[in-house]
Amino acid sequence: MSERAHIFLEGDLLERYLMGTTSPIESQEAEHYIEKYPEVKQTYVELQENLEEYASSFSVTAPTYLKSEILEAIRKKPNPTFPVLAVVACGVAILFGLVSFMIWNQNNELLEDRQLTNALIEQLNSDIVSNKESLQSVEEQFMILNNSATKKYVLRGNLRARRLETVAYVNTLEKKSYVHVVSLPKLPDDQVYQMWADVDGVMKPLDILKISKENLVEIPYEERMASFNITIEPKGGSKEATKNSVVSSVDF
Amino acid sequence: MKPFIERHIVELLQAQDERAIGLLYDHYADALFGVAIKVTKDDALAQDVLQDSFVKIWKNAHKYDAEKARLFTWLFRVVQNTAIDAVRSRQRKMNKEIQTQDSNVYHIPTTTLAIEHLDIQTHANGLEEKYKVVIDALFFQGMTQQEASDELNIPLGTVKSRLKIGLRELRKLFSLAFVLLLL
Repeated sequence: MSERAHIFLEGDLLERYLMGTTSPIESQEAEHYIEKYPEVKQTYVELQENLEEYASSFSVTAPTYLKSEILEAIRKKPNPTFPVLAVVACGVAILFGLVSFMIWNQNNELLEDRQLTNALIEQLNSDIVSNKESLQSVEEQFMILNNSATKKYVLRGNLRARRLETVAYVNTLEKKSYVHVVSLPKLPDDQVYQMWADVDGVMKPLDILKISKENLVEIPYEERMASFNITIEPKGGSKEATKNSVVSSVDF
Repeated sequence: MKPFIERHIVELLQAQDERAIGLLYDHYADALFGVAIKVTKDDALAQDVLQDSFVKIWKNAHKYDAEKARLFTWLFRVVQNTAIDAVRSRQRKMNKEIQTQDSNVYHIPTTTLAIEHLDIQTHANGLEEKYKVVIDALFFQGMTQQEASDELNIPLGTVKSRLKIGLRELRKLFSLAFVLLLL
């Protein structure tokens, strides 16, 4: 007999396992020894035989009517826990499903809200950047307009464009030019008003005039400008001024 | 019990075939009823225990593992536990404590012993009283070894050794009975 089996059999674990009074861990240990050591298995078999014989020695004739009562009892007693458990399980499953659906739905709504909020935030950020740029532009314009080096030139229309009025600002130190279109008489769709600068006797195109939301529109600055001129040109503007179509002019 | 009959009963039982209950009753009811009486010391309660035990055996047939225990061992455990629960339940109702010092604790009930087991009883009675008391306390009264130690007023180590020696002695007695039977 192996030493381990001998030590195991010296204890009372096998007897307690026989009586079903061992803990799950102890049962595992006992089953391990029974499986591994033939002498332990043999002892366990003998113990079971002894138990049966010893218990049988106290046999008492069982009432015969009890047999039919037992048969009747097992027919009458379908497992009552099944329907109850099944109903409870179904209820829990349905409740779980409903709760899951509600949570899923709420989650979707929250995701949509979050996307909307993110879009709004992006829009607001964009607006902030745009406003900052606008503010910066206005500040620059304000500074230039209030600068003592800035000169103001008013261009009024001649007979061909009586109601034309445009104000130009030129700052030779900052080398910036702005124009404020106050009013423009209506032209045919295929014609536009174009502004020019007279530089050394040559008319240089500056910008096509149009009414805009912004009061001041920056136009190209030219050195040695002698005058500003406005002509009527074909739609899209011209590279060279049509001299007989000058409607306004101001000398510096 | 012939192993093949035992296997047949187990197969029927696990297939939830009612014939299993009839066979179980025919082959084991007397021994199990004796166990129930030993524990409860009350014939009427023992009958209830036997009936409840068979219903439990029927319901829990799928839990029986033939690899781990003989059928009788499993049946014995079910009846023993059911009987102990019944006694405790009755005692709770009566609001009384177990009086293990009562000399009737190990008294065999008045119900007639099954004649076919009288010979085995004779051999079992050949076991020394000190071993018999310990085995009865553990097998039929559902006591733990510590409880048996307390109730019988003997050290725990002695309970363990008497259980072990008692079972060995039983083995010898039954082996001797078997040899005599052959002769």
